[in-house]
Amino acid sequence: MLLRDQVNKALDALSKVLLGKEEPLKLAMTCLLARGHLLIEDLPGMGKTTLAHALAHVTGLDDTRVQFTSDMLPADIIGVSIFEPAESRFRFHPGPVFTQLLLADEINRTTPKTQSALLEAMEEGQVSVDGERYQLPSPFFVIATQNPSSQYGTFPLPESQLDRFLMRITLGYPAPAIERDLLKGGGTRHRIDQLPVCLKPEQLVEAQQACEKVHASDSLIDYVQRLLQHTRDHAEYSYGMSPRGGLALLRCARCWAWVHGRDHVVPEDVQAVLNAVVAHRVRAADDVASREGDRLNERLLREVDVLGA
Amino acid sequence: MHQVETQITRAAVIWQLLACVLVVLPHLEWLPFWVPLLLLLTLGARLMIHQGRWSFPSRLIKLALVVASSLGLILSFGHQSGPETMVALLIVGMALKLVEIYRRRDALVVIYVAFFVLGTTFLFSSSAWIALYAAAVLTVVISALLAIHQRKGVSVKQTLKRSLWLLGPAVPLMVLLFLIFPRLEPLWSVTLDSPQATTGLSDNLSPGDVSNLARSDELAFRVTFDGEVPAPRQRYWRALVMDRFDGRQWYRSQETGALRSEKLEQTGDTTGYEVVLEATRRPWLVALDQPLSAPTGMQMRPARTLELKQDLNQRYSYQLSAALTYVLQPMLTQAEQQHYVQLPDSGNPEARALAQRWFDEAQGNQQAFIQRMMQHYNQSFVYTLSPGRLLGDSIDRFLFDTQRGYCEHYAAATSFMLRSVGIPARIVTGYQGGEWNPYQGYLQVRQYDAHAWVEVWQEGQGWVRLDPTAAVAPERIESSAESFLRRSSDSLAASLVFRSDWMRSLQLRYDAFNFVWQRWVLNYDREQENLLADWLGGLDYWRLALFLMLPGSAIFAFLAWSQLRRRTPRISDPVDAALFKLQARAGARFNAREPQQSLAHWLETLAGDWPEQEGRLLRLAELDNRRRYAGSHSDREAQAIIKLAGELMSQLPNRTQR
Repeated sequence: MLLRDQVNKALDALSKVLLGKEEPLKLAMTCLLARGHLLIEDLPGMGKTTLAHALAHVTGLDDTRVQFTSDMLPADIIGVSIFEPAESRFRFHPGPVFTQLLLADEINRTTPKTQSALLEAMEEGQVSVDGERYQLPSPFFVIATQNPSSQYGTFPLPESQLDRFLMRITLGYPAPAIERDLLKGGGTRHRIDQLPVCLKPEQLVEAQQACEKVHASDSLIDYVQRLLQHTRDHAEYSYGMSPRGGLALLRCARCWAWVHGRDHVVPEDVQAVLNAVVAHRVRAADDVASREGDRLNERLLREVDVLGA
Repeated sequence: MHQVETQITRAAVIWQLLACVLVVLPHLEWLPFWVPLLLLLTLGARLMIHQGRWSFPSRLIKLALVVASSLGLILSFGHQSGPETMVALLIVGMALKLVEIYRRRDALVVIYVAFFVLGTTFLFSSSAWIALYAAAVLTVVISALLAIHQRKGVSVKQTLKRSLWLLGPAVPLMVLLFLIFPRLEPLWSVTLDSPQATTGLSDNLSPGDVSNLARSDELAFRVTFDGEVPAPRQRYWRALVMDRFDGRQWYRSQETGALRSEKLEQTGDTTGYEVVLEATRRPWLVALDQPLSAPTGMQMRPARTLELKQDLNQRYSYQLSAALTYVLQPMLTQAEQQHYVQLPDSGNPEARALAQRWFDEAQGNQQAFIQRMMQHYNQSFVYTLSPGRLLGDSIDRFLFDTQRGYCEHYAAATSFMLRSVGIPARIVTGYQGGEWNPYQGYLQVRQYDAHAWVEVWQEGQGWVRLDPTAAVAPERIESSAESFLRRSSDSLAASLVFRSDWMRSLQLRYDAFNFVWQRWVLNYDREQENLLADWLGGLDYWRLALFLMLPGSAIFAFLAWSQLRRRTPRISDPVDAALFKLQARAGARFNAREPQQSLAHWLETLAGDWPEQEGRLLRLAELDNRRRYAGSHSDREAQAIIKLAGELMSQLPNRTQR
């Protein structure tokens, strides 16, 4: 069985748990394939945790869930060295971060100190405690969820940390018909265990490598560059996209193309992942709460010609 | 929160200040000294406030500034309500607004007022240089307006270029409106007081008047001739006739009841010419000796001098015909005789005695008497611009003591002596000569060409011109005042006209340029009617309306087209060229490609709209996709694309068939 078919089978399986959410599921898978981390931003009860669990299950990854609270300390995530009287030395007890898929629930409930400990681990793929480095497992994938920051008792992630997440997606309310099914079925959480395991972790790594080989032509690179330039040249943006954002966009477009069975990227791939990759990296000039990224992206697509000129 | 949007960049502030300075510069000449100072102060304050070194002035300071400048305006302009007051008020308002720019809106207000101040420049001057300056400053003000809306980091060059781009399309429109827009009489008229008193002839003549005038090289008027140009000694430009003498000065009598309008019998050819007279603030006009008749709008006094019904406050041009040889008023009535021999009962006894002696010696022969007088001048008199002061009986002093004088001294002495022996005589003032400008073919007459001469009445011949200056300084009449002054030993006179040859030619060229500007740009309204009638073959309302609308809408249509047309890039790659051509043509018949649609995606959509060609379209979509995104470089495929695109274009349905 081809690797790509297995990935698509996994996606099919996932959509049985999260009904009518094919698009966010595909984006989440793309993010995983692109070796990035995913931020899901939505209200409580929209299926964020379900998505994370189901994704871990079908890809055969170990998963750990950490519920972030305001009194949490970095050691609660990373782990701690404890003195062992029997051995007369400190021994490192790894924290929940030592897992393949970490679900960091409500990351904006905790203090910036703890947030940045996690985000550093995400960036480096390793943690250092007492001068010792500990390698995190591979693949290492973080799905963080966050309540919209306008709610009380939250510490919104600053722009520099938002940038660490490859994608930010929202799930949104289900369509009426699907919600009726959902109500009849009495929830879907219990179905997760019945899902088949479609991928082995090694295969996932293999798929990740395959994605990197997807061809991006000069025409396409030009298009991506024009998109980036547009965000820098126009007054409606408070600040434009960074080169890292551009690389992220191209990486995601490659994975999206691979999932859709292409060995080259077409502009539609870029457009499909654009909102998830770009919306949290730009800010409208007149927008304080950083909520307007989607609106900007719509205009961005309308105004930048695929063929140039 | 809205700070982000409305913050003005530093560059914009600099532009703004520059614009304010430049629009006020032409007004410096007449503005009271404190207005520029106020502007400098507020400019500095604006800069300091923008840099954050000063805070915005408090309400109290602003109030004080307003009160102080209002008082200043009242003190400087008093009760006048002329345009100077209004423009000064505008400038003061602009200066004060500079210290309270909180928002973008306030900055815009300053810029709009700057536009207006720039426009008022033309109230005070309409020379070509001012027009050029205004155009340049307009670019700067528009740049300032642009800069307000720009983000940081736009270079000065870019801003200026943009501003020129905006002005560019206005130029054809301006030319068109200039050519055809009807010149309306102003709804209100403003009288502008010239900042410095204009030099010109006055209606009385005392010794020193003309020589004072001759110290100015200001332009008096310009003349173009229809035919042959009269010789220098025939170029006598009459302005005023002085017929009364009160012992000190000659003047025009107010009661002309006894005088008939003088009769002119032409004995030679007619010379047609057009005069463009500079503003004099006086009603009288100049005319070549002698005008045939007065055109409409002017009146002719009995002594055949022309004048307007009101003072001449702006440049004025008029056409006249002159007779160079004539007989004027061959018969005088008793009353007229009396009028022209009037003298005070006493005064200048030596001159009277001398005249009587010569008249007796000539045995009453008028010609011989005049000959004698002219010879006398020729012997020992000096023609000079600096004759010194004459006290008491000025004519006696001049004839017997100083023997130095300018034309008015000779004219006054001559007519005095003529009258004292009972020969009717009068003084004429005006201009004599002028400098020929070869570049535009016109005569330019300056104030130093001002002249005074005598007209003497002789039985049978009527009034005859008698110029005593010709006797004492014939070169003054034969060539021109300019060349006379140049050769004169008088250092003052020489300095007035001292120019090397190339400077002289430069000056002539410059004057020729100004003449063209005045005639074709400023005075175009006089030509407009003829020109339009010529072009349109009539001046009906519908013709004018059509003429106004057709080019106007053509210009607007062109502008709209250039703005709206899809900018298709120049494509060198033949494959792309074929595809873009197809895209343009098929896009016009079916749905055009959206910017975010890739070409392949659009072709697939097109296949839905144009099912007849579905196979070709999908094949083309696939080929384009391979070439553009999948990294295929096959020449065969490229040829296939060109072929397919060509076939599709030939298959395109006509609009009517759909």
